[in-house]
Amino acid sequence: MSSSNFFKHLTLTSSYGFSILSRRFIHPPLTLLFTNIYPKRQPLIPTKISLRFSNCYTSVTEPQSSTLLSPYLSVRIRCRNDIADMFSEALMCFGASSTTVGELDNGDTSDEICIESIFPELEDVDVCISQAADSIGLKEIPSYEVKAGEQYDWIKKTQESFDPIEVTKGLWIVPEWKTPPDVQATNIILNPGLAFGTGEHPTTRLCLLLLQRLIKGGEHFLDYGTGSGILAIAALKFGASLSVGVDIDPIAITSARQNAALNNIGPEKLQLHLVSGNTSSPLIDEHKYVEKQTSCEKVVESEQEKYDVVIANILLNPLLELADDIISHAKPGAAIGLSGILSEQLPYIMDRYSPLLDDISVSEMDDWACLSGRKKTILTGG
Amino acid sequence: MSTLKEILTRRPVAATIRLTVPAGGARPAPPVGPALGQYRLNLMAFCKDFNARTQKYKPDTPMAVTITAFKDNTFEFTVKSPSVTWYLKKAAGIESGSSRPGHVIATTLSVRHIYEIAKIKQSDPYCQYMSLESICKSITGTANTMGIKVVKDLD
Repeated sequence: MSSSNFFKHLTLTSSYGFSILSRRFIHPPLTLLFTNIYPKRQPLIPTKISLRFSNCYTSVTEPQSSTLLSPYLSVRIRCRNDIADMFSEALMCFGASSTTVGELDNGDTSDEICIESIFPELEDVDVCISQAADSIGLKEIPSYEVKAGEQYDWIKKTQESFDPIEVTKGLWIVPEWKTPPDVQATNIILNPGLAFGTGEHPTTRLCLLLLQRLIKGGEHFLDYGTGSGILAIAALKFGASLSVGVDIDPIAITSARQNAALNNIGPEKLQLHLVSGNTSSPLIDEHKYVEKQTSCEKVVESEQEKYDVVIANILLNPLLELADDIISHAKPGAAIGLSGILSEQLPYIMDRYSPLLDDISVSEMDDWACLSGRKKTILTGG
Repeated sequence: MSTLKEILTRRPVAATIRLTVPAGGARPAPPVGPALGQYRLNLMAFCKDFNARTQKYKPDTPMAVTITAFKDNTFEFTVKSPSVTWYLKKAAGIESGSSRPGHVIATTLSVRHIYEIAKIKQSDPYCQYMSLESICKSITGTANTMGIKVVKDLD
């Protein structure tokens, strides 16, 4: 039924970038796309993927549809200009995961506008659209076409937009495919992929500036929630003797490993560990990672009180929950940095960490804050 | 809506994107990935920003996000708390409203539930000017259209 709709609207006449989609539609099947775009990487294992520590408290049995490679339906609807907004809101109520309404260019005087909508794979698009049209009083159902969603186009697109960034004087973050503007400066070469940490975000910058102040040479550094590995690599470039990065997201670890190789840093200087997302026991669901995790957990556990500098750039809730774990890895008197928090969330962090840290200072950029302190040499009450 | 006009005159808008994302669970996967990637927006920045701002909600609560993408690949977004119907369904523990609202009653809720929902909704940017009483009235109205009866006390 959906194929008949597609044939009706084969000729796409809209402007602004959707022409790329029309070309893609006659593209080879998904698997070929996948191998074309990432010739160097090993295939992504479609297990439960988590971003940073946001998964700490969701149940282990997450639905498969939330993984990175999940298929989705992309629907393009043509409707009248004046009802576009109402219609997209109605679509959201009736099952669309997202709707995008493009803005008209000034020269375009046509009455119709396109709504790009994304639906989960098993959703009944026809029912949803007719219900939405009904609810706002449209007499007829607007014309639309349904396509299977393109898996990797959007990843490539976001990567294309990275430019070299100067975080501070003498420190540049350069994407892999660009040349460093200043060859003399400290250049960190990155291929961020899908892990967090490109140097653009205020929290990454705050942490990099903090790192620059803290690292004098020869320290052991722990990057708690390493993402793309940017902080761990930066620490080594500033002069630390050893960097360790931990994360609960397997994509982050893969990404960090690649970035280390790009900067010619070997595994003995930058160690990476994948740890379980649950704060207590290792995950039972991820069979593939159980062995790796139990051995990694032991490694990380035995590394209590080994680090001179610990930085955790994650989110408010994980920072509060994992406070004891983060602090336990640092030597007494070691420097701790915490970020990924909004300035308005600072009071909670202060409450949680003031019994654990001395010399607390806060730096802020835009709406984001970074808290740094020294681990108390004598912890009262643990 | 007046602030949106200001934005429109300041920077050229490329698109308006509406999404439903679980609180604290924004990932560069569908639907966030394709919708934002289309306009070359910084996926990671959005995910981090969104996750940080929704930390105070229970994880996986579906939040309605409206993103305004500008032609220079920057963006702004506002986050709205979940719809009243979602809260009502959750409070009553039912999957969907009554099939014949007005005739068939799906379930009942107490005024205490309505009050709690109204308190959450009050922090929504669009409801701040309303008194708690009027928010409660509007929620009760929505409940009636779903076939949920509101009683003073649940036995």
